[in-house]
Amino acid sequence: MSNYRFDRLKVLVVDDNAHMRKLVVTILQAFGVIQIFEAESGDRAWHILRESNPDVIMLDWVMEGMSGLDLIQMIRTNPQTPNPFVPVIMLTGHTSLDHVARARDAGVNEFIAKPVSVKTVMSRLVAVIEHPRPYVRTQGYFGPCRRRRGVEEYRGPERRSESPKQQAAE
Amino acid sequence: MKRQQPIELFMPPNMLKAKVGGGLGGMDMAAMKRAESAMDGLKNQFGDWIASDVKALIEARANYAKAANADTRGALLRRAHDIKGQAPTFDFPLIARVAGSLARMIGELPPTTALPLSLIDAHVNAIQVIHKQNLKDTNDKIAQALCAELDARVDEVLASSAKN
Repeated sequence: MSNYRFDRLKVLVVDDNAHMRKLVVTILQAFGVIQIFEAESGDRAWHILRESNPDVIMLDWVMEGMSGLDLIQMIRTNPQTPNPFVPVIMLTGHTSLDHVARARDAGVNEFIAKPVSVKTVMSRLVAVIEHPRPYVRTQGYFGPCRRRRGVEEYRGPERRSESPKQQAAE
Repeated sequence: MKRQQPIELFMPPNMLKAKVGGGLGGMDMAAMKRAESAMDGLKNQFGDWIASDVKALIEARANYAKAANADTRGALLRRAHDIKGQAPTFDFPLIARVAGSLARMIGELPPTTALPLSLIDAHVNAIQVIHKQNLKDTNDKIAQALCAELDARVDEVLASSAKN
């Protein structure tokens, strides 16, 4: 059984729709999160982000002006970002593989496909706490490793004959 | 995607876990139960919320009809997209389906292709009817036929645009 101290978390919720913000904030408050910042636009979120340096960001994709993807790219690569590693959970009505790939390429850690539910919010929060992804820097990308699971998560036996572990055992 | 070189792979320290603890981790069932209760407490507002979303969609449609440009088109897409994502939570899955069809059409048509206003209206009118009649049953035969017809018309529009 987990006993997370969600009351120690600072969460920024970014959505241009007030109802969706209210929904997500209600769920987070019930989880015990006390420090919740709300932003109705990417610009406002960037401002709050630099002032409050949240631990987790819950971000809508489709917004007027700066989109969720634009904001993530700023968070990951702008020299003025307070934390380029901050976990970003994207809330989106886009669920096609193409959209998921685009969001991953922008640096999203986890997704919540709308409609939002208590279970998915908890599961994605637990994912960023318990299973953080390694980060990757290439010429054209900086952000979480885009592979769903890292090879280091494999817990089974080594089966390749050239595996050093197996060779040592032999 | 083509692999880019050089690649630097590293694992930042898990500050989040250090901050919130949680032992072996896993879903916090007590917190989830509290959140479900809190959601139940919001349900009496869902009727007002969906009404306000539908009103915003109608306004966005009127603005696009008055002046079709990137701004009004973007606003119409955002309203349709919002409803697609939220209406199931507000217990209006049929509205979500119709809004999803509208969002698909606007999102997939090239920005240089004008949106067919008659088909926008068909979607907006359907959403209004479903809302006014409080239709929530996804097995409703008439509603299913209506949704299928709208989907088919959107498919036609997108296919025709792809040919040109």
